[in-house]
Amino acid sequence: MCKKLPFTRRNRRPWLKVIKAIYNFIVGDMVILVGVIITMAILALLNYVPGLTTLKVASGVILVIAVLVILLTTLSRETRAK
Amino acid sequence: MQWAVASAAFLASAVEFVEAFTIVLVVGVTMNWRSSLAGAFAAAATLALIIATLGVALVEFVPLDALRLAVGIILVLFGLKWLKKSILRYSGVKALHDEEAIYEEHLAEIRARGEKPEARFMPFGVALSYKAVLLEGLEVAFIVITFGSSVAKTAAEKSIGIESAAIGAAIAGVLVILLGAAVRAPLTKVPENTLKFVVGIMLTTFGTFWAGEGFGVNWPYSDVFILVLAVLYLLASFVLVLWLKQVKQRQELQADVQKAAVHAQK
Repeated sequence: MCKKLPFTRRNRRPWLKVIKAIYNFIVGDMVILVGVIITMAILALLNYVPGLTTLKVASGVILVIAVLVILLTTLSRETRAK
Repeated sequence: MQWAVASAAFLASAVEFVEAFTIVLVVGVTMNWRSSLAGAFAAAATLALIIATLGVALVEFVPLDALRLAVGIILVLFGLKWLKKSILRYSGVKALHDEEAIYEEHLAEIRARGEKPEARFMPFGVALSYKAVLLEGLEVAFIVITFGSSVAKTAAEKSIGIESAAIGAAIAGVLVILLGAAVRAPLTKVPENTLKFVVGIMLTTFGTFWAGEGFGVNWPYSDVFILVLAVLYLLASFVLVLWLKQVKQRQELQADVQKAAVHAQK
């Protein structure tokens, strides 16, 4: 007889598939995704935390450098994987 | 007409439509053109519907500032994905996209299923063609909507941006169809990787610019800074391609040395 999966596992799988499909469609690379999330979180902190607003002028530079670092990191990971 | 948006959508669409065309061609050759074209047109209609409904919803309900921030982040993600792939292919770390090989692979798959050319509508052929065009076109639709709706300075200009992007994508689609009809073979001569690289640079550039604006960054020289960003990413990409080529050479050399050592031990 087929053993039934626990309720949560049975229901989680379709959602996981949907999330995975969206992830693959938009980015498909964990380094890029995590890097962009961290960058945006830092920029949000610089913008909305009163103590850090003096650093807000550097937001543009931080964003550009972060994009380049993310690209470099993901490419170097690919070469290591090879 | 927003030329930057139209050209970005044109280039992105050209890449994706060339890939979709290969499958449409396989279905047309192995089954029949009626099924293949029916699937392709149905997918094109679905994509147009998605662009129209989602585009209108974005234009009508989302404030421009919030839209630019969200779209900027998504475009950076998209742009980095495209840029990474094309840099890896330029440097030889990853093999170039081979339409001929993909064509042969799908041809063998369909023949293995025992499908033969028939005059009637063949559901499998329609579905295969539909799926290929829809999946490849979905990314284009996304770029058309996000890029088109964010390039505007005012809310009134947002729909013009989407229209420009849609026109760019449609021209690319028509061109690929005409080229394909003339050649009747996989479009191997289209420089897919170069197109992907240019689109990657454009998406990353505009994504950075809009995400920055969303966070209140006042870019020097205003919109002219987009060009500065594009040049910066272009230069960085060239340096990365050179670096990866060196890394690949070193890895190949190490592998050769290891092989020689194994042979010497034997």
